[in-house]
Order: sequence, then structure tokens, then C-alpha cells
Amino acid sequence: MKTIIVIPAYNEEKNIGEVIKKVKPLVEEVIIVDDGSSDQTVRVAQEQGVIVLKHLINRGQGAALETGNQYALKQKADIVVHFDADGQFSAEEIKDVIKPIKRGEAEVVFGSRFLGKKSEIPWFKEKIIIPLAGLVNKFLLNVYLSDPQSGFRALSKKAVEKIRIENDGMAHCSEILYKVFKNNFKVKEVPITVIYRGFGQGILSGRGRGSGGLKVIRDLLLAKLMD
Amino acid sequence: MFQQLLALIVVLFFLFRLFWQKQKKQIGANEFIFWLVFWVLAAVLIIALKQIDKLVTRLGFSGSGIEILLYLGIAVLFYFIFRLRLKLEKMEKDITKIVREIALKEKK
Repeated sequence: MKTIIVIPAYNEEKNIGEVIKKVKPLVEEVIIVDDGSSDQTVRVAQEQGVIVLKHLINRGQGAALETGNQYALKQKADIVVHFDADGQFSAEEIKDVIKPIKRGEAEVVFGSRFLGKKSEIPWFKEKIIIPLAGLVNKFLLNVYLSDPQSGFRALSKKAVEKIRIENDGMAHCSEILYKVFKNNFKVKEVPITVIYRGFGQGILSGRGRGSGGLKVIRDLLLAKLMD
Repeated sequence: MFQQLLALIVVLFFLFRLFWQKQKKQIGANEFIFWLVFWVLAAVLIIALKQIDKLVTRLGFSGSGIEILLYLGIAVLFYFIFRLRLKLEKMEKDITKIVREIALKEKK
């Protein structure tokens, strides 16, 4: 089964080189989607000899992932892995995340920070932001997972074909969750470790378009209204 | 009566400006019609202020005609802003579609 890893990146020149070096030997193809970075992310990624798709302007992580998804389908991927560009995820766990799909036990696998493996998560994030996100998902979309905002996931080809990410910003996490359940895909969660450096996504703001918890809620409400 | 005249002069000014802009092709036909109707409606409401006052009292409002018009105006504004935001949201999604096309086409 052909595994393609999609890594959306925004101003990650410091980390992207390392990340690519670690994941490249573990998958068939690496796709970096540069989301309008103003630094040297593109050049650093290209030096690693991987496919780099370029958004002319920053559109948000959801948008970058969808672009990567579509390209991965064109490249005849059987499994698509979503992975962060900042080095917070462990490349060694890629095999854990794709295993259930290879075995046919699930169409979609989410990595969860809360399934036993201990990660150093900032207190505020662990006790307040993430449970809040879970609550939002439960009430607005009627889904519940132990780690609703996890960016480390794997999808089968069928799942990628069916789930078009329409939300450009960080609400794409919830959107993917929602569409996975709406399509009745078999889901599995596997434990992963996350290495935290700096905060990432907060309640009011974050990096890139559509980040920040409040903006996520706004996006989800708007999407529900237009559904 | 004097205030109404003043208000009508202001409306007339904007109407003339509107026709001027249409002449100079600064606005399209749709925008022109929209604002034409808007200002004519405003003029009609200003002229009929006495009647509106009577109507408003008959309907049981404690405020005057102008006040009710103000509140109605604000409600309409909120509605327009809502529509604008929806339009903006759609435009953002369209921009993303274009940016994606360019990114994928470059790799062809």
C-alpha cells in the first residue's frame, strides 16, 4: 500500500528540514504544502528533494491539507498521513498510525495524546483548551474523541476521496471529525507522543489564518448555518 | 418642517451625486439602482413623516416616527452586514480554490 505523508507548513524553515529527514525513509512519498511562507521554508524543503506545493498566499492549515490531499490522490496514494511541520510529532509513530488501515481495521486513524503515552502538555492546554474543544465538538457536531484537535492522522484513499476539507482554518480538525462520522467510516484512535515547544494554538489567536479557538467556533457555526 | 426640508436637500445632494457617478461610469447599473431606490425611499419617508408619526402611535409605539425609522434602519443595517459577512466568507473560499489550482497546476 502506497503511503504518502502530507505536511502543511507555514514559516517553518527552522524545523522542516529535520522533519523531512526523519519521515522520508518511512513513507513512499513526502508532500510539503507551503502555505505562503515568508521565510525560506520552500527552499529548505526543496533541498531535501521532496515534492513541494506552494500556496501563493497563506490560506490556513485546513486549506493546505486539502491541497496536499488532492495531490496525494493524483499520486495514487492508498494511505494519506497528516503530519505537523514543527517537529512536535514523532516520525517513529507513523507506523502505529497507519497500521489499522493496513490491516483493514479502520478507514481513518487519529493519534491521541491522551491514550496513555505521556506528553508534556502545557497545563492550560490540557485542562482547559482541549476539553473545551471536545465540548464544542460534542454540542455542535455530536462527535466525541479523546483528542479532538490532533493533527496526526491517517486516512485511507476512500476516506480522502470522500472528505473534502472545506474549512481553511483550524476548524478543519472538527470538520474532518464530523465528516468521518457522517460518512460512517470506521475510526480508530492510537496513542502518540507530542513534544511541545511553544504554545501553538490559543483561544484568541494562533499562527496562520483561522487559528484561535474563538475563530474555530465561529467557523464551525458559519459552516453549520450554510450546510 | 424645516428639518424635513434640510433632510430633503441632503437627499437631493446625494441623488445628484449618484447620477454624476453613473455618468462618470464610477458605479455599475446594479449599484446605481440600489442607491437610487434607497434615496428615493428616504425622501418619501421624510416627506411622509407626519403620517408615519400617526401610524406609529396607532400601532402603540411610545416613540415618534423618526425613532421607529431609526430602529428599523439599524435592523436593516444588521441584516446587510450579515449578508456581507456571508459573501466575504464565500470569497475567501473562492480565493483558496484559486490558490490551490495554481499550486497544483505548477506541479503538472
